[in-house]
Amino acid sequence: MTSYNASRRYLYTGGIMLAVVIGFFILGLFWTPYGINQTDASSKLLAPCAEHIFGTDNLGRDVFSRCLAAARYTLLVSFAGVFFALAIGTVAGLIAGYNGGIVDKVVMIFSNGIMCFPGILLALVAVAVFGPSLGNVIWALGLVFAPTFARVYRTSTMELLGRDYILQAKVMGVHPVRIMLVHILPNLMSQVLPAVIIGLANMTLFESGMSYLGLGVQPPAASYGKMLADAQSYMVAAPWLIIFPTLMLVFYILGLYFISEWVRTSVKGGSK
Amino acid sequence: MGSAVRSALIRLCEFLLTALLVSFLTFSAFAIIPGDTARVMLGPEASEEQVEALREELGLNVPLAERYVDWLGNAFRGDFGKSLSFGSPVGDLIASRLPVTLGMSLIALVFVVAVSFPMAAICSRNPGSIKDKSLSTAGHILFAIPPFALSMVLILFFSKVLHIFTAGRYTAPSDNFGAYVVSLLLPSLCIALPKIAMTFKFLRASMIEFSQGDFVRTAKSHGLSDLSILIKHIIPNSAVSSITVISLVLSDIMGGSLIVEQVFNLPGLGRLLLAAISRRDFPLLSGIVFYLAMMTVILYFLADVISAVIDPRIRDGRAS
Repeated sequence: MTSYNASRRYLYTGGIMLAVVIGFFILGLFWTPYGINQTDASSKLLAPCAEHIFGTDNLGRDVFSRCLAAARYTLLVSFAGVFFALAIGTVAGLIAGYNGGIVDKVVMIFSNGIMCFPGILLALVAVAVFGPSLGNVIWALGLVFAPTFARVYRTSTMELLGRDYILQAKVMGVHPVRIMLVHILPNLMSQVLPAVIIGLANMTLFESGMSYLGLGVQPPAASYGKMLADAQSYMVAAPWLIIFPTLMLVFYILGLYFISEWVRTSVKGGSK
Repeated sequence: MGSAVRSALIRLCEFLLTALLVSFLTFSAFAIIPGDTARVMLGPEASEEQVEALREELGLNVPLAERYVDWLGNAFRGDFGKSLSFGSPVGDLIASRLPVTLGMSLIALVFVVAVSFPMAAICSRNPGSIKDKSLSTAGHILFAIPPFALSMVLILFFSKVLHIFTAGRYTAPSDNFGAYVVSLLLPSLCIALPKIAMTFKFLRASMIEFSQGDFVRTAKSHGLSDLSILIKHIIPNSAVSSITVISLVLSDIMGGSLIVEQVFNLPGLGRLLLAAISRRDFPLLSGIVFYLAMMTVILYFLADVISAVIDPRIRDGRAS
């Protein structure tokens, strides 16, 4: 039917959105039109114009420059956090799924326990206890997301266990670690890849929420969440302070969702 | 019947273990604070006597295991100790903030159920139609806007364009219950919208799956209308998965309200939590965290029990 086109449309829309964010990130690494914390008393709360294409905030800082610079933290926290979560989740999920029984029960109870802390609560606690540094935010969010990946790995590993080639390997006396790494892990890519992409998007939702509360990325670094928190008192007079950081976040998150949708539909052969 | 009893016992054990683990995680998070806890809480200016007094008050001189048992015993009796910055019992502080957080969570849940079920029913009738596609895309977009940004956009829209909302106005339920509900409507909507998208996506998939089942074809060949097939056959079959997703959403809603309260300036648990973090008031913080996590544990357990009651396959432990 039209599923092929629909899946292509997800790829193109998502790809363009992500390209914008990545373009901002790369440009921001090398060049920003103004300093990100450069204040200018004579140009406060300017609407978007030729000199300041995204306008300026209450301190006269250029919003475009800040949007360019903030992209790096959004990308850094989401990728580093997902990497950390994936590392824990892969090990825990493979071991639980492969061994089953009591090992599986222990891993599942731990992952359930972590999942019982709603939303960003656990990450907030970690930051409250260890202080709000970038590293703490990353590992705390990674820990919060690890159970999601562990579950994906566990279920998919269990599904693979009955396959003939796994049984064959077991009969031939292949070491369990080798079976997990060589025979199981590569076959789980199609289940794990969408989970990773969605994880990047959700990680960004969490990170921006923490930065909004002032417990994520810390000033002087610019982050979209903090920009929105600062903009809140001026949002009626200067809605551009809200619109541009929000658009950046939405482009990144929605772009990732669309790409994951494309991955999902093309892996399934576009049946739905 | 034996298998039902056995699986009920396993369920109960798992619930108790999870509750114990959650309490342990909460306790240990505050027990592993690097350095001297009392010193961290009071700051570098405090004198050695003050630090020693606080250490005594918090029981930091007692061995860790003994402290955990004491803390757990008190917590289950509803005694979380005394807040250091507010000077009143933590339990009272939490109770005073509950009307906002619980009220918002309930209203948000009503929004989620009232909107996502009809949406999913409409979309699952004709998967791939224009109506289905536009609703699904709208769901994706709602899901991608961070709740606090969505709140700001909606505040701007409702207060500046429609002139029917003033941010930061809150009436206590004891003063005027109607005004209390009205003051929570917009914040609840902001929490609910992304969850509507999530629930809708899930329900749509499960309804499409069931509407392709043999029993639906049979019902159709018997001449039942689409609506009665939906109500009598598809919805009851997707009830178990709906309950699971609703319990997940409800926990997410509580987590989401922590942030949205801040945008709307509402005196709920989220504001209390942030105050506790910024004042390094660890007894208060651990009390709130434990309370919220326990609510979630109980919620998941209830969802589990309800699923077992309505589905004999789960009750007998035949399906996991």
